[in-house]
Amino acid sequence: MENLKKPVESRRGFLAGVAGAGALAALGEAATLREALAQAAPAPAAPPGTVTNEAIKAGKASAMQYHSERPITGSVPAHEHDFEFTPTDRVFVRNNLLTPDLDINAHRLTVKGLVEKELTFSVAELQKAFPVVTMAGMIECAGAGRTNYQPRASGTPWGETGGMSCPVWTGVRLRDVLAAARLKGGAAHIAGQGGDPGAVAAAAPVIRSIPMSKAMDENTLIAWAMNGAPLPKVHGYPLRLVTPGWVGSASTKWLHTLTVLDAPFKGTYMTGSYVMPKWPVKPGEKMPPDTVSTQAWPVKSMITSPAPDQLLKGTERITVRGKAWVGEGSVDRVDISFDEGVSWHRAQLDGGRDKYAWRTFTYDYVPQRFGHLTFLARATDDRGNVQPITPYWNPLGYFWNGLHRVGVMVVPA
Amino acid sequence: MSRPEVIRAAALAAALCCAGAFAQDERLISGPGSTLTENKCKICHELQHISRAQLSPGEWADNLRNMKERGTPMTDDEMRVIHEYLSVYYNRDKPAPASAPDTLAAGGDDPVQKLLNANACNGCHSVDKRIVGPSFREVAAKYAGDRDASARLATKIRAGGQGVWGQVPMPPNPAMQETDLRRVVTWVLDQK
Repeated sequence: MENLKKPVESRRGFLAGVAGAGALAALGEAATLREALAQAAPAPAAPPGTVTNEAIKAGKASAMQYHSERPITGSVPAHEHDFEFTPTDRVFVRNNLLTPDLDINAHRLTVKGLVEKELTFSVAELQKAFPVVTMAGMIECAGAGRTNYQPRASGTPWGETGGMSCPVWTGVRLRDVLAAARLKGGAAHIAGQGGDPGAVAAAAPVIRSIPMSKAMDENTLIAWAMNGAPLPKVHGYPLRLVTPGWVGSASTKWLHTLTVLDAPFKGTYMTGSYVMPKWPVKPGEKMPPDTVSTQAWPVKSMITSPAPDQLLKGTERITVRGKAWVGEGSVDRVDISFDEGVSWHRAQLDGGRDKYAWRTFTYDYVPQRFGHLTFLARATDDRGNVQPITPYWNPLGYFWNGLHRVGVMVVPA
Repeated sequence: MSRPEVIRAAALAAALCCAGAFAQDERLISGPGSTLTENKCKICHELQHISRAQLSPGEWADNLRNMKERGTPMTDDEMRVIHEYLSVYYNRDKPAPASAPDTLAAGGDDPVQKLLNANACNGCHSVDKRIVGPSFREVAAKYAGDRDASARLATKIRAGGQGVWGQVPMPPNPAMQETDLRRVVTWVLDQK
């Protein structure tokens, strides 16, 4: 009970220590796994220039739940997100292709297309040429929460929660780099391309473009650090885009080329994936011809404490704590219900310094009875958008922002 | 792409093979088209992506088109077979029928083709076309006149290899029976 009442701020040092211990534990497990595999069968040749899943997992907390190995996808559930910002070893993993092992000294970023001056930077040059920005910001996979949809959609089966992270990023503003290259008339979109290779030589490169309005946002970064340390390989080392608040695929990892275009990029990762029906379809129907590209996440929240099935002592005050965020705009309020949505009670909202960071909400509550008790959280943004109970179904299972429910047991003291 | 990039991109096709080695016991429900479906889908991802996604035939069609756009090496005919198979055995709206022999597997009841399918060889190789690895005819031509060809090729299949046909590694096949291995080697060297 005691640790639940502590303000989030004072937990940071303690939690950093826990995170470190988690990473060590994960290393130990990975070593055991490697040994087991080595005995079972000779390890296959590692694809040259890529990072193994074992190496990726060695840098992750033991709380990570992996949903697939090829491509590797993993995240932690809501109650493992109870930190002010997401520690590196809990940031979700989702690749479309393989994780490249790039050399920071050889890496170059090229800016081309509709620009007066084509530019190429080494990482060191980029770091010196522009003002350096550090900010917390959300990145969330478009399919986060997908398994909540019925019928189930195809794609990474992200659990009820998970598939989102809010670490602290360090980099330069994309708009400063574009200003140096001087945009030509008609510049409308900017496409990021990363160095992630496919399993077959014919694999389509993962290229996504974002509109110039988002590219010019002061919070859209070309980043090289996560939580004050160089990006881990699986998260885009040595450079990545950070397009905060938007679907994760807009934040190109292993970024090597930015191409300024007069229209959205046309490619399978723009037109075949990350799209939703322009108008909702009946659940279970296929994608209609009229689609829109997914961009900013709708308003969303999750309860990070108490954990599901936690035992709470009756008559003792508990704190319901969680995170709330929205892809564009700001979260204005969060309400908590402990009677399945019959009544709602306004939670206290902290944070809000960084526009695209999640905000922490807290609500103190004394259980009035014993037995099973549920908490629901519901966030509202500054435009009056409220989280739905269940969002409209879509064929690829994107943008789940339904209410998060956590059930606990209240027992006599 | 620059030359190093081309080499790297090709080399990375490895992933296909490597992870395939880990997941060789992963199977779909046996039925007409199941072998082709396994061989093509396993190139890039685990088969659980299929078994846990129950889709409608229309969604499977969208899904396959998307996979082809992403680079799956499959012809339109192959795509039709895979679509038909998935629409029968992994259809959200209809329970799957009982498993049945894969009458559409390349080579049908041919014992060598069965071995090639069971060991996922046909995912990357075909008789006369390059898919990811060289065609069997190219392999046969390369070893023509080499007295040690059988032993060399058997070692290559058993231990896996890289560098003969480019930087794309082939995964090892440690579990293959010796008699099956010899049978496949003899058959491959016969493809001229």
